[in-house]
Amino acid sequence: MRFTRTREDREGWQWPSAAEIARLVVALLAAGLLQTAIAPNIRILGANPDFALIIVVCVALLRGAEIGAVFGFLAGSLVATALMEPIGLGAFIFVIVGYFVGRYAETADLSAGLAPLVSAFAATLIASVLYAVAQDLLERQVPFGFFVVRVLVPSLILNTLLAGPIYVVVRFWLRGAGDLRVARAR
Amino acid sequence: MAALLLLSVAMLTFYFRESESGPAHGLQSGVLQVVAPLQKGTAVATKPLRDAWNWTSGVFTANSENSDLRKEVEQLRAGLANELATQAENDELRALAQLQDDKIFPKGVQLVTGRVVARSTTAWYSTVTIDVGSDRGVSEYDAVVNGSGLVGRVTSVTGGAAQVTLISDQQSYADAVVMPGGAQGIVTGSVTGDVTLGYVDKNEKVKVGQYVVTSGRTGSIFVRGIPIGVVESVGSQEVELYQSISVKPFVDFRKLNIVQVVVR
Repeated sequence: MRFTRTREDREGWQWPSAAEIARLVVALLAAGLLQTAIAPNIRILGANPDFALIIVVCVALLRGAEIGAVFGFLAGSLVATALMEPIGLGAFIFVIVGYFVGRYAETADLSAGLAPLVSAFAATLIASVLYAVAQDLLERQVPFGFFVVRVLVPSLILNTLLAGPIYVVVRFWLRGAGDLRVARAR
Repeated sequence: MAALLLLSVAMLTFYFRESESGPAHGLQSGVLQVVAPLQKGTAVATKPLRDAWNWTSGVFTANSENSDLRKEVEQLRAGLANELATQAENDELRALAQLQDDKIFPKGVQLVTGRVVARSTTAWYSTVTIDVGSDRGVSEYDAVVNGSGLVGRVTSVTGGAAQVTLISDQQSYADAVVMPGGAQGIVTGSVTGDVTLGYVDKNEKVKVGQYVVTSGRTGSIFVRGIPIGVVESVGSQEVELYQSISVKPFVDFRKLNIVQVVVR
């Protein structure tokens, strides 16, 4: 898997159509709504689900690195604004997640069907570590044991479990019902 | 990607450099105004599910909780005996038992009742959003209480909603006093949710089971006598200037629902 882009990659990239942008905007609003209105009221294993992160992962898997990074930037900014968290932090982390998950999708074989779960697991791991580092830089306490037991492990389990069904919905929305039938036929 | 990362860093820098009334914070308040009704709707809709989940998980923790409660009753009995010793101490105890008694809050103070509609989704911040705001007279730095004691303070407010930073948040501070005895200190939260009473002089005698209430000192944002918690452990090391006191808050932050804002 290559994480850097070649000249061919860059030349082969096309702007999304207006209809596709409209679908992405709806996905973005759904991510914002789920994360700000639903996630705060769901607490399982001591953690809240990160719907926005999972949807960024799904969009990056389906649409590639560039759109994944832009979608991540917008989703991170939207969620931070609505949840009164520092604006820019979530955007920074989601850009990284969106880009690298997108690169993974462009270069790896995704036919096994575990790609959303693996990607959500890796994305949660990266995002959690980056959040912890940011908290440390902001001079907030980050006890290692607390981070692993109360933040990382519950988030990894919850987000990975949720990634499967959310991926199905996002793929249906971005590619249409026909794509699902093709996937089942395989 | 590099451009987006740079833009994110620029936004973050701008956010921390601007004042609380700056455009980025203003944008957040505006968005909160829109999001709060949605959060309220989902909070009400999902409450039966959350109650069912809490009940189910409560069954498994009932044994240990029962044991904890027995210990707590013993501590409360010991504290009660001390409190009854003098009339002044008795007044303090009454203040703890009856939070909404007029004697706790000075004249002119109004209590505005609201509901918690959202909580922070990351473990790094202990904040909640409530469904009352400046329309009802709520303003920044107002104290927030519930039937058990001090919940936190208002850190951001819009017309119909406000963000409350809980006393368990690591950037939360409250002037406090230990009753009886009068040892003064500052209650702070932590990322783990533990609450400690710091800056208490080593010569002050503080015992397990004593109550911690807001001191209401000049300059404090909290009025005097709001119950915070009970002293859980007292530690002191020779090299340190102050005692290390762990406080068990009266408020169960996991089950916050109805709160009151102390509007001045």
